[in-house]
Amino acid sequence: MPHDPQPARFWKRNQMKIAPYAFLAPGAVMFLIYVLIPIVQSIWISFQDWDGLGPKTWVGLANYVELMDDDTFYVALKNNLLWLGLYLLAIPMGLAAALFLNQNVWGIRLYKSLFFFPFVISQVVVGLMFTWFYAPDFGLFSQLIKWLTGSEVAILADERYVTYGIIAAGLWPQTAYCMILYLTGLNNLNFEQIEAARMDNARGWRLLRHVILPQLAPATFIAMVVTVIGALRSFDLVSIMTAGGPYGSSQVLSYFMYEQALSEYGYRMGYGAAIAVVLFLIMMVFITLFIMRMIAQERNR
Amino acid sequence: MAEVSLSNVKKDFGAISIIKGIDLEIKDGEFCVFVGPSGCGKSTLLRMIAGLEDISQGALRIGGRDMTRVGPSDRGVAMVFQSYALYPHMTVGENIGFGLRMTGHDKAEIAKRTAAAAKMLQLEPLLARKPGQLSGGQRQRVAIGRAIVRNPEVFLFDEPLSNLDASLRVQMRGEISRLHQDLGATMIYVTHDQVEAMTMADKIVVLSAGRIEQVGSPLELYHRPKNLFVAGFIGSPKMNFIAVDARPHDGGIEVTLPGGAVLQLAGSLAAAAKMTLGLRPEHASATGAGDAVLPAKVHLAEHLGSETLFFVGLADGTEIAVKADGLAPERPGDSMQIGFPARACHLFNADGQAVLNGDLTR
Amino acid sequence: MFPTPIQKASAPARLAYQIALPIALVIWLFPLIGVAVTSLRPASDLAAGNYFGMPSSIAYENYASVFRDSPIGWYILNSFKVTIPTVIGAVGLSCLTGFALAVYGFRANLWVFFAFVAGNFIPFQILMVPVRELTLKAGLYDTTLGLVLFHVAFQTGFCTLFMRNFIKGLPFALIESARVEGVSEWQIFRHIVLPLMRPAIAALSVLVFTFVWNDYFWATVLVQGQHAMPVTAGLYALNGQWVAAWHLVSAGSIIAALPPVLMFFLMQRHFIAGLTLGATKG
Repeated sequence: MPHDPQPARFWKRNQMKIAPYAFLAPGAVMFLIYVLIPIVQSIWISFQDWDGLGPKTWVGLANYVELMDDDTFYVALKNNLLWLGLYLLAIPMGLAAALFLNQNVWGIRLYKSLFFFPFVISQVVVGLMFTWFYAPDFGLFSQLIKWLTGSEVAILADERYVTYGIIAAGLWPQTAYCMILYLTGLNNLNFEQIEAARMDNARGWRLLRHVILPQLAPATFIAMVVTVIGALRSFDLVSIMTAGGPYGSSQVLSYFMYEQALSEYGYRMGYGAAIAVVLFLIMMVFITLFIMRMIAQERNR
Repeated sequence: MAEVSLSNVKKDFGAISIIKGIDLEIKDGEFCVFVGPSGCGKSTLLRMIAGLEDISQGALRIGGRDMTRVGPSDRGVAMVFQSYALYPHMTVGENIGFGLRMTGHDKAEIAKRTAAAAKMLQLEPLLARKPGQLSGGQRQRVAIGRAIVRNPEVFLFDEPLSNLDASLRVQMRGEISRLHQDLGATMIYVTHDQVEAMTMADKIVVLSAGRIEQVGSPLELYHRPKNLFVAGFIGSPKMNFIAVDARPHDGGIEVTLPGGAVLQLAGSLAAAAKMTLGLRPEHASATGAGDAVLPAKVHLAEHLGSETLFFVGLADGTEIAVKADGLAPERPGDSMQIGFPARACHLFNADGQAVLNGDLTR
Repeated sequence: MFPTPIQKASAPARLAYQIALPIALVIWLFPLIGVAVTSLRPASDLAAGNYFGMPSSIAYENYASVFRDSPIGWYILNSFKVTIPTVIGAVGLSCLTGFALAVYGFRANLWVFFAFVAGNFIPFQILMVPVRELTLKAGLYDTTLGLVLFHVAFQTGFCTLFMRNFIKGLPFALIESARVEGVSEWQIFRHIVLPLMRPAIAALSVLVFTFVWNDYFWATVLVQGQHAMPVTAGLYALNGQWVAAWHLVSAGSIIAALPPVLMFFLMQRHFIAGLTLGATKG
């Protein structure tokens, strides 16, 4: 056994203690600077009045108090809940699509890829596509409505329908995402269990409900996570399709925040930060639930 | 010289104590097997010797040097893992030479040692292959080759044969034993299989729940188990245990067997007590030859060809196994006379400690 | 297999399924098909009100004119300048962090891991003001580098989750075996773990490419001028100029969507492996 000379020994002796931090440091520092510290800074800024350039003025809870009296905030909050509720439809729709496509016929791989297509496309492009789809006069959807009801509806210009129209556009890629999660789940089913259930005369809906769905639980969990996050993050489509209009009726918190802090409506960084904090707190409820489940899993390993 | 010595070695995971104080001396060049049921701490103990687990308390010395706090690579040990732990992206040759390459040995030296190890293990035609293209036995040999090239003073094996099928296991057992004779290095070998322990070991350490139950040569453990645990663990099929009444009698011990038969044993006893009598299936006689004869009814007969294993019920319902001739004609339901030879009987007290070993070597 | 394979069904059911497949696909992709057709429709068709019929001719010149008359080629280049360094940076960093979190049992391990995971889920808006400030102060506002640095940091969170779980799935004995052989920790990473991470690296690369390419929010927050603008934000800006010129908007959309789509088709298996991480077990 050759033994190392003295100088190399320090590293050798201590590498088990140093190595984890050395490996962790570059990524952790970046993450700290760009993600963790900004969260704290945002909370701090939310107690200030600040235009982004001049000095900050401490205003305490004033931004939050103002928010409580801001009608747009309630519209945005209501729309966010609508997003959350309707976006979850992507999960059963994705499951249905996955069940439809989980066959072994010629060309099915290509079909699966093409069904997944909408998720790969930028939301900006999706937004433009649906804007065109909904366009009054010539948009295909408007034509369809006209043919069905006889009256013309300009979806994106109508306060009653605009948010539903945008959510529908969002459901398109989100359903594709959930579908692919379920397709993978279906690929990894325990076949013996299914055969056993079939021998026990379970079939169709009851087989799905009692044997398949429990096995798909991990896929459902991930689908829930990404869908909830997606609903609360909805920004791109609102920005592209309506910019929150008409008259702020399709506003959501994320876009409202952006508008207050950065757009021509004024650089109200403090107020914007307060909106972001509210959104963050709503999201934290879900994040905490997810992380708690993950901790439970880690413990079980 | 690479004797391994453990003194009062302990391991705790949090509040749970896994290894509860082990004192053990393994001589230079000895083949020592740690055996015990799963969860007994044998693998943990081996990993502590390797340096992969910290030693919570106590001291470990290898070749006289204190290794308690020394890193795994500086202990002069090499380890063969149960899963072989071959690097899937490297060829057999690269796998064997990897450790040497990383520790800065020159190319010629690595090539020389790799070739020598490959020759010893008949791996020469496989050097350019990846582990994925090898059979289980070949992978096992590569793992051993990786250990050999380092010229370690101590080889550690962690259940190395448990992923192989039965016939390969027998073959590899022989190969490892031969390797031990050729290299003359100290080897510590962990297994849950008492047959492996019996066939390979110079010294067996029987572990249970983080403690040593008994240390000794294979025949010592077979003939003179110190307690019920070792008696039951070593030997296959396992020793029969029969509840008996024992009392001092005439400078010896007299026990009453189920059904009332009385057996005179050597040894001494202070007072009458309920005890457990142990008799190995191969020592019981199916033809009724012995110092006490008990009537029994055949429950099950396993015909192995060379021998027949009868499971028979005694008068009080106790079932015991009896090894008999391969041509023994009895069938389930038949009656048999089972002979108990006094000099093969073991006796254990209520605490499970041996009062008497029916040592046939004496 | 569930549902029951169609091969076991009756002949009419099989036929019905074979017919239903393409019909469902066309309905599902209708917005996309519409845009693709429109991108090849001559402007004269739109003027004549022919929005959805067959184009009177195939107008490749829509694409030519988009490239000629708009800076979309420049935007695409910017997108590459943002996306490719981000992929390299985020995947590289997360190989290191993932290794640290998967292999070592140091005290803060789980907490650091969950910080990375939680960071993934937060709304961008909570980061917006400080990150914009930081980028301005560093003189990186309106540069592709400013975008790259943020994306690298943010994507490292997701990538770390992925890498850590991947490395946890490797047999730990490989690492222990190397340790007994005297291989240093860095060598273990470099020579044993990294070569085995190739599938994970491939999966994450495609995934991060798509995420970052399609990013719109940060492109609007950290960039103002044309010279650093990625194609998502650029397309939105162009949409404002091309009012009602749907053939140009469509052609631009197709151009912007093409790189991630190609990436997806070329690396499909890796892409899906990355996306569905955790969907099958645990």
